[in-house]
Amino acid sequence: MEKVWVVLLTVLTCGYFALAGFDYGVGVLLRAFARDERERRLVLRAMTPFFLGNEVWLVAAVGVLFGAFPRLEGELLSSQHTAFTVLLVALVAFTAAVQLRSPAWDPVLVGAALLVAVAWGVLLGRVLGGPAWLWAAGLPALFALHGVVFLAWRLRGDLRARAARWALALAPAAAVFTVAAALTAGAVPEPAYGLAAAVALALLGGAWLAVRAGRWRAAFGCTAALCALPVVAVFGARDVVTTSVMADLPTLRALGWVALAVLPLVLLFQWTTWWAHRVPR
Amino acid sequence: MDALGLARLQFAVTTSFHFLFVLVTLGLVTLVAVTQTRAAFSADPVHGRMTRFWGRLYVVNYALGIATGIVMEFQFGLNWSGLSTFAGDVFGAPLAVETLVAFFLESTFLGLWIFGWDRLGRWVHLALIWLVALTAYASALWIMAANGFLQHPVGHELRDGVLRMTDFSALLTNPTFVTAFGHVCFAALTVGGVFLTGVSAYHFLRRTDEVDFFRRSLRLGVVTTALATPALVGLGFAQIPIVEEHQPDKFDAVGAVDGAGLGFMIQIGLVLLLVSWVTVPLLARDLVVRLRFPLHLMVAGIPLPFVAAIGGWLFREIGRQPWLVQGLLTTEDALSHVDRGQLLVSFIGFTAVFAALAVADWALIARYARRGPASSDVEPVSPMVPAL
Repeated sequence: MEKVWVVLLTVLTCGYFALAGFDYGVGVLLRAFARDERERRLVLRAMTPFFLGNEVWLVAAVGVLFGAFPRLEGELLSSQHTAFTVLLVALVAFTAAVQLRSPAWDPVLVGAALLVAVAWGVLLGRVLGGPAWLWAAGLPALFALHGVVFLAWRLRGDLRARAARWALALAPAAAVFTVAAALTAGAVPEPAYGLAAAVALALLGGAWLAVRAGRWRAAFGCTAALCALPVVAVFGARDVVTTSVMADLPTLRALGWVALAVLPLVLLFQWTTWWAHRVPR
Repeated sequence: MDALGLARLQFAVTTSFHFLFVLVTLGLVTLVAVTQTRAAFSADPVHGRMTRFWGRLYVVNYALGIATGIVMEFQFGLNWSGLSTFAGDVFGAPLAVETLVAFFLESTFLGLWIFGWDRLGRWVHLALIWLVALTAYASALWIMAANGFLQHPVGHELRDGVLRMTDFSALLTNPTFVTAFGHVCFAALTVGGVFLTGVSAYHFLRRTDEVDFFRRSLRLGVVTTALATPALVGLGFAQIPIVEEHQPDKFDAVGAVDGAGLGFMIQIGLVLLLVSWVTVPLLARDLVVRLRFPLHLMVAGIPLPFVAAIGGWLFREIGRQPWLVQGLLTTEDALSHVDRGQLLVSFIGFTAVFAALAVADWALIARYARRGPASSDVEPVSPMVPAL
């Protein structure tokens, strides 16, 4: 029973990084990538149909964290008070800026997206024991790569070609970060960090080849997995989850029935969102 | 101010902001769903235009509702880790259900509704707005169940120094939850009704050409207010014996702030009840429009239900002090072990960003409301759908 909840929490958190990751990546690069208002609208129009469905993966993850791991939730959040405060302020600003956007909002949108990525980087770096500055620079690079790969998949013509060029240029930077993060990760035991780094480099290589071959969906899958990988590393490498931080069995059982009924629906309607906005082939 | 005071003030400020947007979300989504249902069954294009106009205001309001909601969820763990440590087994469950059943689905449905305009079939699109409304109310239900537990903790036993759940269903039959949930739902409908009435009255004052459009909107607003306020007031007074039974100190030791909150709420509730019923007969032959002075009152009345709602919350929450979980955990003991400096930073940060974004959001709502249906007919339903 306990294992199920650890898996569920991991899946929801991974889902958040893999999906909202490209929102933040697109946000960070909005002004740099798109040269005029027409291009910015095309870029945003590619991302926004998924925006409302992406960010709520975080809400669901924290809900599960609170319900099933109550003694981890309070410890984790309050021990990183200022980092989470910065993250949330940026998250609120980004969420509002995307939904209310006019050109005047762009400084808020870009700045908040960057700050969200930096704050997640710092938090992940702290948990995994790496230097804060490395993660603060590395995670925005990963999200940016994921963002341009998403754009290469969803856009057409000039913009697609530009997104593909940007992806090929960003991939080596992400590789440098991956190697540096693996070498400096203090808390992760030896075999695990080697494995995580190897998988990350394989995913980067896969994304690079897929972009060159014009296999956009495969490339997107690779960068999505890459964004989720640090989360897997956190849950896999650190003993963050023990039964003592978890709720008692009656609570887990009650929540289990709800999750069993609702999660298929959630996945169905998330899939519907992608299906309704599928790229014509 | 000490750390405890800062943490409480931060919770009060962020919750109040969040609650203002949530009320509009719940109230407007219901009326948009009703309007879209009429549009689906009617050949008259006015219902579709009304759906688009009011739906756009709803969507812009939702932007801050979801943004502030994310902070609400994190805030328990950030500032009140003692609550999750001690009562998380019971209190965390309804919050977890809320995020999975309601928040997650609501946002996904709303995304499909916004971007499915003109793409999905009429009935699928109609089903989506009802699903958004349903999940929005489900959200309120689980949040109120969690809050009801804080007022009157049920379904638990104290074991090894922490609360363990014994009966999940007790949370949903909790007397401090059931009536309060109904009260909040009708408060939201009242907010929606008063908002439709006020915006429509504004357009009549400006001698709008869209007479049919705003006559229908005004009627929907007045009738909604007239139907919602009796239940709202009734469920408000119905809580008095429940509070007297479970939290007698709330009335005995009422202070300046919560006392004023309670007073404003009751007065505003009764005024809205009275005025909406006086207005219903004046809807005949557009008397209310031809008399003109009621229109001024309707515009001026838009903020009233918000003031009442905040007053009600202040009474409910301040009145419980010094307890966070009534009789079991004090607010002081629930405070996280964080420095006063950190709390000051987060208080200033959240308050500043919420206030700035709320003003920007309300300015956009006011602009869209002023421009009227001529603008919503041609522009997308959300700024998230930029014209290409």
